[in-house]
Amino acid sequence: MSDTTRARPPLGRTLLRLFTVQGSWDYERMQGVGMGVAEEPLLRDLRRGGNGTAYHSAVARGAHFFNAHPYLCGLAVGATARAEHEGLPPEQVERLRTALCGPLGSLGDRLVWAGWLPLTSGLALVGVALGLGLPAILGFLCVYNVGHVALRWWALRAGWRYGARVAVALREPLLQRATAISGPAMALAVGAALPLVARFLSGDFHGPWRVAFAAVTAAGFGLLWWRRQALTGLRLGLVMLALAALAGWLWP
Amino acid sequence: MTLDLQLVLLAWGTLVGLDLVSGPQMMIARPLVAGTVAGAILGDVWTGLQLAVLFELFQYDILPVGAVRYPEYGPATVAAVSAAHAAAGTLGLGLGAFVGLITGMAGGMSLHVVRRLNARAVQRSGPALEAGDPRVLERLHAGGILRDGARAAVVTALGLGLGQLARAYLVGGLPPHGVALLNVAAVGAALAAGTAGTLRLVGRGATLRWFAAGVVGGTIVAWLR
Repeated sequence: MSDTTRARPPLGRTLLRLFTVQGSWDYERMQGVGMGVAEEPLLRDLRRGGNGTAYHSAVARGAHFFNAHPYLCGLAVGATARAEHEGLPPEQVERLRTALCGPLGSLGDRLVWAGWLPLTSGLALVGVALGLGLPAILGFLCVYNVGHVALRWWALRAGWRYGARVAVALREPLLQRATAISGPAMALAVGAALPLVARFLSGDFHGPWRVAFAAVTAAGFGLLWWRRQALTGLRLGLVMLALAALAGWLWP
Repeated sequence: MTLDLQLVLLAWGTLVGLDLVSGPQMMIARPLVAGTVAGAILGDVWTGLQLAVLFELFQYDILPVGAVRYPEYGPATVAAVSAAHAAAGTLGLGLGAFVGLITGMAGGMSLHVVRRLNARAVQRSGPALEAGDPRVLERLHAGGILRDGARAAVVTALGLGLGQLARAYLVGGLPPHGVALLNVAAVGAALAAGTAGTLRLVGRGATLRWFAAGVVGGTIVAWLR
């Protein structure tokens, strides 16, 4: 560690900025500008001794192209800021950032978007369908965000601790276990939620309307599965509503 | 519905829209939360919960990875709940779904516009960014968040306005069986989208067996209740 590294880096300020890391998302640098904003507090020590060049160069590099899962961006922010403090050559810092995009994106997508989020939302759906109402929604917000904030904080601290050797952090057993468990847990929770919400939403349908509901669902699912490259849930919903409105209007 | 309530819904929809991408991504943008709170604001938690669950199913059709384009269901659910609440009765669910899906589509397109505007702003500030000027960096970032906030407000306002229009032209214009058809189509499409989206996420192999176990368990509980 160089003598420019403070004993207590401003990780709290960086964490707060990381909550808006995608605020200026664009098609060229993607999360780059947000990453630069988040990293900047960790780079201020580089200005010590009137050496503004190192600081400005590091800030400029921090805002270059970056794209990964937003909750894990802290890992790259911490690692590159530490690498700048340790005086790694600029090309090596750039390579480190580039190398982290893929693994952090893939890990975050599996762990959060395809795991933790649908798992907690599926459990909330089960709760609502079983009549828990508002407490189920509040429970979802609390439980989801405990995991969310913990992941962001862990990522930032791990990045700062390991610097250029950040790959070590990605091999942590707890992270590996969580990734392995989140998929099956999500499948079980959402699988259980689907029949329960079907009953919750179709409570007002009786007699032939229940048959019509089953037929519409089956036909919709078949179409979405068969034409999955072209048809989305939104398009299917709009087409079905338009057809239903037309049929209802024409029905004598 | 009073103007005060409309303004509170507009503010809530704006916060929900900001949460989707700009931050803090604490999932108030999830239909389950956005719709329930909108219902609570209107004093109609039941309608809020129903549309929240309906749009949560549509949300399962989306995996927001990389730079993929997708509809925005947060402000859409707020608008849907507002439309359904004002058209109290059985027309609520179908009308809400109609308003919400169109608003969701508009929301998705507006995200694309904001990202292009952000790209232009970044291009204009290219030299200052390459010089490592932190003030320019922060200004660009704040500008992006402001643009997204304005976008979310416009999308929510559009949805609330669409709800008023749809109510004016559709309520009373459909016979009872037409209303029932609309509700069946809304719930059926949502369930189909939710199931297909989840199955795409689950894939094949062991995870599919866990999904099947969940469906069996959920069906038994639903049947016993």
